[in-house]
Amino acid sequence: MHEKNRQKILIVDDCTVNREFLIDMLEDEFDIIEAVDGFQAMKIVREYGSSIDLMLLDIIMPEVDGFEVLAMMNENDLINDVPVIMISSENDDSFIERAYEMGATDYIRRPFNVAVVRRRVTNTLALHAKHKKLISIIIEQVYEKEKNNNMMVNILSHIVEFRNGESGMHVLNIFAITSLLLQKLTQKTNKYNLTQKDISLITIASALHDIGKISIPGSILNKPGRLTPEEFDIMKTHTTTGASLLEEIPIYKDDPLVKVAREICRWHHERYDGKGYPDGLKGEEIPISAQIVAVADVYDALTSERCYKKAFSHDKAFQMIVNGECGQFSPLLMECLTESHADIINELQIRSTEQMQEVQLQNIVDELIRCDETDYLINPIKQIEREREKSRFFARYVEELQFDYDCRTCIAVISEWGANLIGSKRTVLNIGGRDKCIINNPYINDLRNKLNTADRSNPDIESDIILETENGRMSGRIVAHTMWENDSSGYTGVIGKISDLRRIIQ
Amino acid sequence: MTLQECYSIIGDYNDVMKRLPRETMVIKFIFKFLDDKSYDQLMTAIENSDYKAAFMAAHTIKGLCQNLSFTKLYESSHLITEALRNDNPDTALVDELAVKVREDYAVTAGTIRKFREEQ
Repeated sequence: MHEKNRQKILIVDDCTVNREFLIDMLEDEFDIIEAVDGFQAMKIVREYGSSIDLMLLDIIMPEVDGFEVLAMMNENDLINDVPVIMISSENDDSFIERAYEMGATDYIRRPFNVAVVRRRVTNTLALHAKHKKLISIIIEQVYEKEKNNNMMVNILSHIVEFRNGESGMHVLNIFAITSLLLQKLTQKTNKYNLTQKDISLITIASALHDIGKISIPGSILNKPGRLTPEEFDIMKTHTTTGASLLEEIPIYKDDPLVKVAREICRWHHERYDGKGYPDGLKGEEIPISAQIVAVADVYDALTSERCYKKAFSHDKAFQMIVNGECGQFSPLLMECLTESHADIINELQIRSTEQMQEVQLQNIVDELIRCDETDYLINPIKQIEREREKSRFFARYVEELQFDYDCRTCIAVISEWGANLIGSKRTVLNIGGRDKCIINNPYINDLRNKLNTADRSNPDIESDIILETENGRMSGRIVAHTMWENDSSGYTGVIGKISDLRRIIQ
Repeated sequence: MTLQECYSIIGDYNDVMKRLPRETMVIKFIFKFLDDKSYDQLMTAIENSDYKAAFMAAHTIKGLCQNLSFTKLYESSHLITEALRNDNPDTALVDELAVKVREDYAVTAGTIRKFREEQ
């Protein structure tokens, strides 16, 4: 029977009886695929890819053995997608070590114990499912965050353009041209050490290149005719104003995006021969981010209609830039422009904002998955650790017995102070048991009855109790909160505290 | 003959029942053992001095013996697996161990067949 949601297990063993053994143990719960040797296993893995949920892999097989299957899965990056449990009667530790080194998740030795094999298979599947879920949560969050970032940057730059009387297309065009030039540049050279992340930073920051124009009077900004030398000097200050605007941001000024944006704001009117403004930087003194946005800015200015000029054709604009009519640019960037000119024309005509952002985001997400997966995974775990430390700290200074009880494992964890009081360990198994019951007898039944009256909408209960402590019998008040999971019929845990503890004088 | 009596000749009944949940599963797989070709492959491979193939077959027999708690055949199949493991095995030793494997297989398979006939 093949139900839709059953997990798939691939069993690889050259011995039929051994395969049947495993099938017999697992077929009730899982869909089984069989491979009679390593070669067939490779074929099946290539065909099914990560839709295989788990592989049970024998080591010693004729022709292609288990290690070669692992090697192939490493080459094709499948080892992270499909967990592998090795199965063998080899008891040599070097075999086991080698299997683990090659990415196997677990190792089961013959002879099999049916219950143990089942348990290991389900544990591995559960762990892997959790891992997959965590990664997808992280990707979603990063995606959401980046989307919001882009949106804020776009809103900001549109405000500037709105005041400028421009259509808003300028920012989008610069975004596209910058991105294409950067891609071409990284294909041609790695002298600037640009990662995929740098590329997205520069591309996003390019939208902010003119924010300094917010301080330029509208009369100059939107003047139809030629600017006077004095007016032009004022106009030039949009570079330094933009940079200092970003410099004075109190919190984010060291953020990589803000740093790149500052470079771009200040220096996107510099020229390679030192004849630009505001600082007259020369050659590679100008950061590559600003060099690229400068080319993109000029190109788009030439091909767009402005209050003081008509639009030039793409070819005319290209010729003007390459001929140095708009100032000198780096020869390497001129090569990039030449080689990507056809693409630029194409992009400016067909691309919409959303598409551009989608591509950018995908690149960032890809990069995160490739390099920083562990960093991003560690964060939620660190947060949990922090929460635990916090509650341990507070519990130490409160004179009450705090507890956390899990119904499924029957394990209670008691606060340090509480454990000392009743002279028990901090972790207590089977707390309601006869031999070591911390709560005096008649009261435990009362407590049980009260807990049984709790439900999802009224999960809290209160009760009086008597405790046997290191200092004799004490009375106290217990306040407890029952915990419920989505589809549990009863409560799955109880947390609470026993306070108002008083010694009972006999 | 009960399964327990069968195992008193060929292996360890308590051990197999500890690991497998039911007698029916044990019986199903000791019958399957009779159909397994590894023993024939082992003997043919040794005859042809194909020691690589002999190693594979011996290794499979050993694994089956472990899973089914055939202690008698496990001993000899384990020894011959180790003797065959390197590329240039001691052929005299292999031949000597093959005699023991043949004996133990005959007892094991013979007993299971007898048990099957009585079912």
